[in-house]
Amino acid sequence: MFHLMPWPHLPESYAGPAWVKCPNAFYDGRRGHALYNRYLDELVRAEALGFDGVCVNEHHANAYGNMPSPNLIASILARQTERMRIAVVGNALPLYNPPLRVAEEYAMIDCISGGRLIAGMVVGGGPEYYSNGINPAEARERFSEALDLIVRCWTEPGPFVHTGKHYKLRYVNPWPTPVQKPHPPIWIPGAGSYETMDFVARRRWAYMGIPYFHKRIFKRNFDYFREACAKEGYAASPEQMGWLVPVYVAETDARARAEFEPHLWYFARKLLPGINVSPPGYTSPRSALKMLGAFGDFMLNVGSWDEIVDGAYAIVGSPATVRTQMAEMIHWLGVGNVLTLLQLGTLPADLTRRNMELFATEVLPHLRNEIGPRAAAS
Amino acid sequence: MPARRIVQVAGKDVRLLTGGDGPPLLYLHAVGADVDWLEIHDRLARHFTVHLPAHPGFAESTGIEQVDGIADVVLHYVDLLGVLGLRAVPVVGASFGGWIAAEIAALYPERVERLVLVDALGLWIDAAPIGELFGSTPPELAEVLFHDQDHPLAQMLRAMTSIADVPEDFAHAQLKALEAAAKVGWNPYMHDPKLEVRLRRVTAPTLVVWGREDRLVPLVYGERYRDRIPGAGLEVLPRCGHLPAIERPAELAEVALDFLAQT
Repeated sequence: MFHLMPWPHLPESYAGPAWVKCPNAFYDGRRGHALYNRYLDELVRAEALGFDGVCVNEHHANAYGNMPSPNLIASILARQTERMRIAVVGNALPLYNPPLRVAEEYAMIDCISGGRLIAGMVVGGGPEYYSNGINPAEARERFSEALDLIVRCWTEPGPFVHTGKHYKLRYVNPWPTPVQKPHPPIWIPGAGSYETMDFVARRRWAYMGIPYFHKRIFKRNFDYFREACAKEGYAASPEQMGWLVPVYVAETDARARAEFEPHLWYFARKLLPGINVSPPGYTSPRSALKMLGAFGDFMLNVGSWDEIVDGAYAIVGSPATVRTQMAEMIHWLGVGNVLTLLQLGTLPADLTRRNMELFATEVLPHLRNEIGPRAAAS
Repeated sequence: MPARRIVQVAGKDVRLLTGGDGPPLLYLHAVGADVDWLEIHDRLARHFTVHLPAHPGFAESTGIEQVDGIADVVLHYVDLLGVLGLRAVPVVGASFGGWIAAEIAALYPERVERLVLVDALGLWIDAAPIGELFGSTPPELAEVLFHDQDHPLAQMLRAMTSIADVPEDFAHAQLKALEAAAKVGWNPYMHDPKLEVRLRRVTAPTLVVWGREDRLVPLVYGERYRDRIPGAGLEVLPRCGHLPAIERPAELAEVALDFLAQT
């Protein structure tokens, strides 16, 4: 189960972006106190309901997801849960200087949780480069150098010297080191840039498709990823591909739509505007144009419920409907990891709770049988 | 029409347009708009042999991977002058190119004979932050760049909702140019904190030219350049935004040529 920890209290009248310049006067710490604790309860509860894991991620200066430090949330989960995986997907490596901080904090979470961390590494969304001042034209270089350094921290005895283009460190010797050997599994989320998919294929790690796109964009990206793996001389395994999707289950199709639709539109119309910012050099011009070309297939530009359903932007319905649609998508996309967003936008605590319960009891067991015991529904 | 050639400078390809008669003049262009040969270059070329190189990463010029900041660009142009066999030249620099020109004149004063800065980036004034060049939509760009919103280029920008709306070649070139500009000027944003104090080193007679309605780099920046460069003058062009070379080429050429003709 994936959680964004969104801000559900943007004023009705506000029509600006949810990112970079969204006034933080809209934030209220007292409401924040209630929200963080409610959202943490939801994540903790996922374990008792039988989920394989929970996912959290990093965003800054926005209303879409209020985890500037997902590691703080993950460390709480490490203490409050016992069995399930904790996936941080991920830390935006170019924003950490030196990136040793990521190696250290991830190792702490892995130790505290007894080896349950999945270590996600991201370039960071386009808006983060406006909010943090890091040069987007250096984003790929910094990401690649930082990732190599972090893996080296976990696999090579310290102290050692690191002399890269962006980071120069004479004594690299992080304490602690992770429980999992040689290191926690590495997941890389991406929005379809060629650079990221080629990179993940080369390292044989796992690629998570960023959601809110039409299903044909997912398909195109996973097909490209499989080809990229084939070019590297191996067949991609389903576990190397993750599909992240909003899901809502209720007793009937009609009730599911009626309960969920307003919260989905809050998400699409209030929280997505501004997410698609692509600062200069953030991707190659070739990838930037490809991603801009896909923009018509982005949830921000979807106007009707029928389009949501047809494009599988979200899977919404009765248990039977959701089972069927998800099984079809899993087969069609060829993915082995399914990351479900069971809270979205303004979806309140009571509906989120029932959604999680219905999904866990009526859908999850079926999907396990459908896609085999190896498939992880996190 | 100017002659087009590719010149090698320290392992980089430089697209160089050269046209006109008379003594040499180096024109350093803005973020894309005047990288091609325009009316302003024709007008200057009536009195000078105008050299119009594309900065690294712009048009067919390569080598952006060798550029990590403004100092690399300055050295690049000092190297280019060497390749062209030019000891000291008059330099006209607009916007981004104005920043580069001011840096060259401060760091290598002996290489700049006379200096014309046109709505130059390069300084920072807290009370009047430079406008958003990277994060603006095309219609927002039209708003900050142009005084005359009916100018054909402003109209084109205003009609676009995204860079994806323009022909792919053009979009590709624009994205590449913005990437190249970001490598130099993302942070600190389009300026060099050291430049202002270094401007006292400029020995070239200097004219600062500014569009009065520049909303990207407001007129106070022109006044600051005038105040910091010893003996500099300031010419303000009315009814003109950030790009006099595009919006007021005749007036810009006239004031620049008047100044360059003085001895």
